[in-house]
Amino acid sequence: MDLNYTAEDVAFRKQVRTWLEQNMPRHIRNLDERKAWHRRLYEAGYLGMGWPKEYGGQGARPMEQAIVADEMARAGAPAPTNSLGVGIVGPTIVVHGTDAQKRRYLRKILTAEEMWCQLYSEPNAGSDLAALRTGAEDRGDHFLVNGQKIWTSGGAVADWGLLLARTDPAVPKHKGITCFLMNMRQPGVEVRPLKQITGSSEFCEVFMTNARVEKENMIGRLGEGWGIAQTTLGYERGGRALARITTYASQYKMLMDAARRLKRNGRPILDDAVVRQKLGRIWADLEVERYGALRTLTMLERGEHPGAGGSLTKLSYSEFEKRFMELAEEILGPYGQLTDGVPAEFRLEVDTAVGDHGTWAYAFLWSRAGTIYAGSSEIQKNVIGERILGLPKESRADRVGGTR
Amino acid sequence: MNFSFSEDQVLLRNSVRAALDEQCTPAHVRAMMEDPKGYSDALWGEMAKLGWLGLPFAEEQGGAGLGLVELALVLEEMGRAAYPGPYFASVVLGGLGLQLGGSAAQKEKWLPAIASGQARASAALLEDALDWNPAATTTSATKGGDGWRLSGVKRFVPWAHVADVVLVPARAPEGLSLFLVDPRAPGVTVTPMVGIDLANRWSEMRLADVAVPAEAVVGRPGGASVVLEGLLRRAAVGASAEMLGAARRCLDMSVSYVKVREQFGQLIGSFQAIRHRCAEMLMEVENSHSAVYYAAWALTAGAGDAPMAASICKAYVSESARKVCGDAIQVHGGIGFTWEYDLHLYFKRAKALEPLYGDASHHREQIVRGQVLHSDK
Repeated sequence: MDLNYTAEDVAFRKQVRTWLEQNMPRHIRNLDERKAWHRRLYEAGYLGMGWPKEYGGQGARPMEQAIVADEMARAGAPAPTNSLGVGIVGPTIVVHGTDAQKRRYLRKILTAEEMWCQLYSEPNAGSDLAALRTGAEDRGDHFLVNGQKIWTSGGAVADWGLLLARTDPAVPKHKGITCFLMNMRQPGVEVRPLKQITGSSEFCEVFMTNARVEKENMIGRLGEGWGIAQTTLGYERGGRALARITTYASQYKMLMDAARRLKRNGRPILDDAVVRQKLGRIWADLEVERYGALRTLTMLERGEHPGAGGSLTKLSYSEFEKRFMELAEEILGPYGQLTDGVPAEFRLEVDTAVGDHGTWAYAFLWSRAGTIYAGSSEIQKNVIGERILGLPKESRADRVGGTR
Repeated sequence: MNFSFSEDQVLLRNSVRAALDEQCTPAHVRAMMEDPKGYSDALWGEMAKLGWLGLPFAEEQGGAGLGLVELALVLEEMGRAAYPGPYFASVVLGGLGLQLGGSAAQKEKWLPAIASGQARASAALLEDALDWNPAATTTSATKGGDGWRLSGVKRFVPWAHVADVVLVPARAPEGLSLFLVDPRAPGVTVTPMVGIDLANRWSEMRLADVAVPAEAVVGRPGGASVVLEGLLRRAAVGASAEMLGAARRCLDMSVSYVKVREQFGQLIGSFQAIRHRCAEMLMEVENSHSAVYYAAWALTAGAGDAPMAASICKAYVSESARKVCGDAIQVHGGIGFTWEYDLHLYFKRAKALEPLYGDASHHREQIVRGQVLHSDK
């Protein structure tokens, strides 16, 4: 056990920090500028780092990926784009795709020349994803796709989508699903932005009416889509592990500053024992998340996959983030709810997924999403119970029969 | 960066667990709960032979020269077994206290004796007001004859009834000082304070004009604050390690139980109300593991954030262990509330350590105080 960073990692961190100081844009105004920033990061070797070298990546260690993300968080650097393409679609094609698919798609994912989304969730298939009903019908040289997807991140700007669709409604639901690469720029695909409680639209609804998918764009074999989606869901590596905590820590410092400024009965609320107890508790929780991130990185560095352990990590930090933002709101009072007209001393400068300037209000509302997306806390607890603790499965009516 | 145990550390943990599984069974714990002395000489001798009693001391003092990570591994196993005996008192409170502040002669006299099991030590860190800030000490030390005379009342002194030496903070004209006191010396009265964890013994220690020799001062008179702060941090992390072990035991027992207990014609572990609770318990146990071993490493390595890490550890684990051990009783239902069933042994061990060496509130205040000081610099 040695929790010091190696000399090599310290040197790499310094190199990234220097590069960011010299290259980081101050503001990103539109998608083109974000794509240009994405491209610069890629060319510097700081994007798609975990991808194998033969497909345009760096074959970098998980710690190096974590350090780059962490330094970007520290510097408040704008996020790159095409995150689902780089994080999920690309790795899925690397593992399950044909040589032709790899040649056709991979490089353009890394350079953000082609933007990707993930077409998984449906109105009636959320936590129970395998209940999806969007159908893909075999028409000889192509499939015809009909149905609706929802919660599609980046759907509005996507050129391509990684699609899960039902190709056999007669078999048990997990077995009749196939995975496809679908062109989003075609008449049969309609994308509507979904306005969330934040007022912004990071997500879309996607309606497919006789949309066409060529046969060569099937990933893996017919009926094997569920297994592919499971590996895809588990592919999220420790890349953001440290960055997430660094962002929380800088937000915590802003809260301390606010607690010096805001008063109760003429005294700074930072002198209030109740406020101090709450701050002390959240800082302890925050640091425990950081220690956990170091444990995850240790496993990844040794080439071990956290497996269902990832559910523990996700459960812990997403629930923490909710508690953290609730405390932020409590300390900031109505300042915490401002979406406009925020005085400079209570501003939260974060780069949101859609490129707007963030506010505490946005961060607070957004914290509600973390315990729902990518498997809700309840689903994570089921996974932990069944796969780590080995508790008996529930009797489930859907394990037998088809979806028809 | 490597947050995992070395092969040697894993071997140590496995051997401690194997020895305690064999010799510190729940039946043994229960027998010691009834025993006037409260611990077994046979097991104590075995622990000396295995090198546990000198684990963190230098080799020239009969120790193994290991760090707090290894010590935490041993303590976690002791919590898991609800070990009844003065290990923590002797090795952590007495031993580390002497290691931190003792003179060469004091270490030479006591550490080999503690390591061999011949002597037992403890520390009297608490008075009637339960203030963990060493500056609040009211016990007095005045010069008398060739040495000092101590007067005051110490409470919750672990295993004082079997100790050969107790570290006693007292206020001297020079300021806060630390003394080695023989609890059998004239003027010392040791009275049992019986808590809910019968496998863990406390005493009240009254000092009525007790004469101690000049060479019994640990460090220089007036210079005890730094030693006591260092000792309290180590004790907080050590106690957290024991609470972690107790919590893990409670989790393991719960998981085993819900896999066999049937109600409504089903195993109760298949109900989400139970399964989700068990998943939360595991999350708390794993987070506590992170907190304990990070802090143990930081203190051993002398990392800049070591004081903060110790407070984070105790603040986190105190509440986390309370939740896990409490939830264990809940998922067990009625059986978990019986004296016969062993769950309460671990529940009570965690509870007994929760307020000691600073409870969660104390350490949360320490965290914020440290941050405010840091930003004012």
